[in-house]
Amino acid sequence: MATPVPVLRLPKGPDPNSRGFDPKSPRYISLCRTSISSSAVSDADSEELQREQHARSVLRERFLRCLLAMANKKVHFHMFEKVKVEATFGASDIDVLNFQVSDLHTPIGVQKEALIRCQDVISLTFDL
Amino acid sequence: MQRTWSLSGPLDWMRYINKYVEVKAGTSEEREHCGWLLTVDPVSASLVLVNFGEVGRASVRVVMGHVVEKVEVLQEGDQEMVDRLQAILIQTQSSDLDPEQLQLRKDTVQLWLQKNLIPVEEEGAELKVAGVLTISAPYRPEDCRSCNQIILDRIQRLIRIKPEY
Repeated sequence: MATPVPVLRLPKGPDPNSRGFDPKSPRYISLCRTSISSSAVSDADSEELQREQHARSVLRERFLRCLLAMANKKVHFHMFEKVKVEATFGASDIDVLNFQVSDLHTPIGVQKEALIRCQDVISLTFDL
Repeated sequence: MQRTWSLSGPLDWMRYINKYVEVKAGTSEEREHCGWLLTVDPVSASLVLVNFGEVGRASVRVVMGHVVEKVEVLQEGDQEMVDRLQAILIQTQSSDLDPEQLQLRKDTVQLWLQKNLIPVEEEGAELKVAGVLTISAPYRPEDCRSCNQIILDRIQRLIRIKPEY
C-alpha cells in the first residue's frame, strides 16, 4: 500500500510553484513574521548565495529525514508553563508551524488526534 | 540573543554541525540541553541534538528555533562521530549492492517507468524523469528527489508497485 506523503497541507500552503511560501498570504503574515529571511547575502554575490543555498539544502534534508525517523514514534513534548505531554508523532507542515500527533496524553485525558502549535513547544524528544 | 540564532543563516549554522554543543533555551528549569548537533532546520532554525546511549540506541532532542537563546560548542567532532551521525539518518542505505546489481535495478526501474509512459532519461548514474525528478542509486522510492510534490508522489507510488523480478 502506498504511504501518504508526510507533509500536512493546511489552508494557504505554499504557493503553486512549490517554491515555499507566499509571503503575501494571510497565514504567512500572521504566523511567520518572525520567520527567517531567505538570505542575508546580497543578490550580487552569486557564489556566496550558491554556497548558502547548498548549506540550506543539506541542513533541510537532514531535518526532513529526522522528521521521517520520528513518524509513528512516541515523542515527549516539553512545552511552556512546564507542560509535558506524550504523543505519537505523525507529521509536520513544511514551515514547521504545526505538528500532527495521535494519542496525545493530556492531563485530562487522551486526545485521539491533535495538532500542536509549534510556538507552544520548547523541545521534543524521542528514542531511535 | 534569540534573534541572533534564528537570523544567523545556514552558513553560520553549518559551523556547529557534527559538534557537541550546549543549547540554552526556554524559561523552565531545564533550560540547558547538550548533544551532538545533527542539523539545524533552515526554515524554523530548530536544532536536532543526538545523545548516544548503549549500543545502537540514541535519543534525539529537537529544540525549537524560536526558544533558542545561545548555542555554544563544547567539543569538536572527529570523523568517527561524523560517520556515526550520518548513519543515524540513513539506517538502511543499501550501498552494498555491487555495480552489476545496481545497473540491473536501474534498467528495470527505467523500463518500468517507460512501460507506464513516463519520459525517463539516463544521466550518468541517475535517472531523470521529465526533467523535474531525479532518481539516484539504488533507485528505491525514497531515492527520488523532486521539488514537485505531486510528481514525486506519483513516481514513488509507481516504483513501489513495480513488480519484482
